Amino acid sequence: MWLHTINPSIKLLAILTTIIVLALFLDPVLYLVFWIGLIIITFSLSTISKKTWALLTAPFLFMAIGYVWTAMLFPYEALLENEQVLFEWGWLILTEESLMRSAGLGMRVIVFSALSLLFVLTTKPAVFMLSLMQQLKMPARLAYGIMAGYQFLPLISEEFQIMQRAQQIRGVGRPQTVKERVSQWKSFVIPLLASAIRKAERTAVAMESRGFTGEPRTHWYREIPLRKRDAVFAALLAGLFIVSFTVSSIMK
Amino acid sequence: MTAKWRLSEIIVLSVLAVVFAVVYLAFFQVGNVMVGMMGPIGYEFIFGIWFIVSIIAAYILRKPGAAFLSETIAGVIEVLIGNAVGPMLIVSAMIQGAGAEAVFAATRYKRWGLWVLMLAGMGSAVTSFIWGYFISGYGALDPGYVTLMFALRLASGAILAGLLGKWLSDGLYQTGVLNSYAIARDKKKGSYGKAS
Repeated sequence: MWLHTINPSIKLLAILTTIIVLALFLDPVLYLVFWIGLIIITFSLSTISKKTWALLTAPFLFMAIGYVWTAMLFPYEALLENEQVLFEWGWLILTEESLMRSAGLGMRVIVFSALSLLFVLTTKPAVFMLSLMQQLKMPARLAYGIMAGYQFLPLISEEFQIMQRAQQIRGVGRPQTVKERVSQWKSFVIPLLASAIRKAERTAVAMESRGFTGEPRTHWYREIPLRKRDAVFAALLAGLFIVSFTVSSIMK
Repeated sequence: MTAKWRLSEIIVLSVLAVVFAVVYLAFFQVGNVMVGMMGPIGYEFIFGIWFIVSIIAAYILRKPGAAFLSETIAGVIEVLIGNAVGPMLIVSAMIQGAGAEAVFAATRYKRWGLWVLMLAGMGSAVTSFIWGYFISGYGALDPGYVTLMFALRLASGAILAGLLGKWLSDGLYQTGVLNSYAIARDKKKGSYGKAS
């Protein structure tokens, strides 16, 4: 449960910093060690289900494979010149270093997705928005505007279904060709956007008539605190990075 | 940035961001399949769609910050919906929004023709590509291949964001829901000019 109670702003900043620092390296060993550490942290300190996590990671695995073979087929050739050739077949040349770079690009995708899941699966949307207002000083008008917009999500999808059924009742069949698909898409998107904008206006009037001015606040009904554990979390990520960096240096 | 905005403008901005956040996530699935099959270049064909909200929001509201904020909010909403690309989307959204915003700022928010919108889409393509070069490590790839990726992204930004964005906003304008926003003010001014 521990990860779920970290302040969302701190969690966000710590994870973003980690991603940017990791992007400075292209080292599959470092990434692998970091990834294993992340998995241990994720599952020992949170209540994320392993199944959900695996399902969400799967598409990135697929993407990582795309990166790996592209990097093998289209390497930066100037880099290959002074390197030990492991394998040559036609114009496909693989060196030890180019294999490491390819593996690095693929592992990077996987590590970044693990970091993202750590945030996304342990953070409640409303708490995240409140924390953005309280810690990162997002203007209240903007934050409540976003929350109001976010509330429309189910309404918009419901409206989409209503429109779909209305069309079916009037004898519009399921689209078969690409052309039909495009013209059907056209008949949905503008009405959906128009009704979303009307809803937005009504919401704005409702908020203002109830006295919402969006002045900066000093007191909150629900305070999102900054605690010691937030610093511990940031230190944990930093520590994991140092360990991975050391392991990778020793392996070289 | 939003101090002088009407609340309805802020909420319209958020609602546009919500709608397109869903579209963005849908295209992310498409992109994922394409990347798996074609490698990183698979994203480039559809990359422009991820800039479209900044074009639409700026074209409708015609205010400094509309392009940047709408894209950023779309990024925040993608995270709120809870997808696995997560927090990084907010940063890349800000970078994309800044590219389009820079183009609109260069016209001093006075020109809203098709060319400006297409250039704004390309502006997002430029900033997002620089960021992608760093974060996805394109330096390890063949420069010719990377140049091809960049050219595709520019074209995609101009067409899928600029052209499609203008077409959608104009369609939306015809429904009359935008009558109290800057797009209607400018368009009416234009049509009075023609009549006289």
